[in-house]
Amino acid sequence: MMARTGGSPLLVIEGLSKTFGTLRAVQNLNLSVADGEILGIIGPNGAGKTTTVNLMAGAFKPTSGRVLFDGHDVTGFPPHRLAAQGLVRTFQSTTVYGTQTVRENCRRGAFLHLFPGFFPALVPTARARALRAEVETEIDRLLDWLGLAEFAESEARNLPYGVQKTLGMAIALAARPRLVMLDEPVAGMSAEETDHVRDTIKRIRGAGISAIVIDHNMRFISGLCDRVLVLHHGEELAIGTPGEVMAQPAVIEAYLGKGHAKAGRP
Amino acid sequence: MKPRSPPVLLLAGGLAGVLFLVLWPLAWRSDFILYIATLVLQFSIGACSLQLIIRTGHISLSHAAFAGIGGYASVLLVKSAGWPWHFALIGAILAPAAFAALIGPVLLRLSGKYFVLVTFLFGELMRFVATDWQGLTGGSNGIFEIPKPYPAMRDPLNYYWLSLGFSVVCVGLCVRIMRSEIGRAMDAMRESEKLTECAGVPAFRIKVLIFVIACGLAGVQGSLNAHMNNVITPGNFGPLESLNLVVMNVIGGMTNMGGALLGTVFLVALPELLRGYVEWQRVIYGVILIVVMAFLPGGLVELWGRLRGLVTGEAVRGTAVVTDET
Ligand SMILES: Nc1ncnc2c1ncn2[C@@H]1O[C@H](COP(=O)(O)OP(=O)(O)OP(=O)(O)O)[C@@H](O)[C@H]1O
Ligand SMILES: [Mg+2]
Repeated sequence: MMARTGGSPLLVIEGLSKTFGTLRAVQNLNLSVADGEILGIIGPNGAGKTTTVNLMAGAFKPTSGRVLFDGHDVTGFPPHRLAAQGLVRTFQSTTVYGTQTVRENCRRGAFLHLFPGFFPALVPTARARALRAEVETEIDRLLDWLGLAEFAESEARNLPYGVQKTLGMAIALAARPRLVMLDEPVAGMSAEETDHVRDTIKRIRGAGISAIVIDHNMRFISGLCDRVLVLHHGEELAIGTPGEVMAQPAVIEAYLGKGHAKAGRP
Repeated sequence: MKPRSPPVLLLAGGLAGVLFLVLWPLAWRSDFILYIATLVLQFSIGACSLQLIIRTGHISLSHAAFAGIGGYASVLLVKSAGWPWHFALIGAILAPAAFAALIGPVLLRLSGKYFVLVTFLFGELMRFVATDWQGLTGGSNGIFEIPKPYPAMRDPLNYYWLSLGFSVVCVGLCVRIMRSEIGRAMDAMRESEKLTECAGVPAFRIKVLIFVIACGLAGVQGSLNAHMNNVITPGNFGPLESLNLVVMNVIGGMTNMGGALLGTVFLVALPELLRGYVEWQRVIYGVILIVVMAFLPGGLVELWGRLRGLVTGEAVRGTAVVTDET
């Protein structure tokens, strides 16, 4: 039943639903993401893409359904426990620590790898120093990868929009996730920046990290994803390779009717 | 991010400062100044531990109430149960910490202004209990004739050194927490809790733990203060006293331990030094407070930063403490 591409499924969702009052934001969604896969999620505004990520990342508890990560039921786990298991997300609205430098932003993302436990953290040990040095090297590499090295010491709030967006990704990656969920990572970026982010995500996959990527930019999604899930009114409209999905009449219709669909929603 | 001073410099500076504080009364002794200095040292524990709570994004108006719980616990254990002071002190830490562990998990779910309001009410409630439970607390007159921790502490100089010792340990612990990964996580969650949680930080658990530790430390201040004054009254519980601790942090710039210490010196010493001008005291005190808060939202620390900025040509900005969650 489960579509498998490559290895065993890392993330499985079964019958996931979320209602807000009477609004059914996500309805009976089934999905599996293989280890090493890049899965795209597309759909018109309000289709339920962000809600799906929120459900998987522990920001909301689902109305019904289950989330399994690496074979364990993690439904309703708080975000910090999911992060500890390797499931990390970014936010659609640019979310960074504005008052801090890019480097400090990344350190804050690397909490799991710096924190030796509450009371050990109070004693400066050689191990703590070694951890810190290791994380610094890791952050250097990350900043290089993402093209943020030149901004390392700049305060985040002073950076251009696209750079802040990329920094949001850097914070998530600093946690060294196994699966990263990126909510519109290239929204508002130039074509050049978009291509850079696409290549970066591919490189991240090369490092063994799976990804779920939400975006409206079809060129970006088709150039990046192994499979694409199309959401419409909270339901799966289609799933498959980018080529398969784009050829489906229902998908074309949903996109052509996008403006009307948005205005007509409850 | 303010540049962190390297640990070695901080340690050297701290040691030099402590050495000075230990030695100055030997060179020049004034019991009045000694008394003020002892008060400052005791309040430094309350102010710095309150800052721990502030740095998790919550402004507590019941911190003096927790100090009061510690004070009463200590006094009762010594006077009624006959414990030696050093054991009573453990009670003075555990009693407010236990209370904090009980109400913290509920209180800390409240955001910004609601937390302020409810902690204010808790402070009032504690004062009420202390006034009404006459059998235990002696009612509004409080408890008198509290013995000194040890006979030698009748000498104000010895009491000063005792307070200095505890201040160094407690403030040192607060500084250590803030400079550790826990402090980094605290500063992070104040800026964006949801982003911090995505990095694997158990934000709520840290908040509760910090609240418990801070309230336990406040008990040390309560005990030291009660045994110095020979008397403890429900006045020690009031929200006004708590507000005083908050203002010490406001003057210092809210997010800097050094600032909290400066604020403590300012707020404890000023009223004492202005005693000779009773009619002017409130006016001067008020004017200074307004000037600091209106023109230096970043506190005295910002003044220092601005002066340094004039030299290096760098701009400084304050950071918000309570940001409303989305
Ligand atoms: N916290 C919430 N409370 C109530 N309704 C919500 C909440 N979050 C989302 N919704 C609603 O659920 C529906 C799906 O929203 P969602 O944010 O998941 O869409 P999306 O696909 O991410 O859209 P976009 O492309 O605009 O980001 C929308 O109608 C939205 O108004
Ligand atoms: Mg969205």
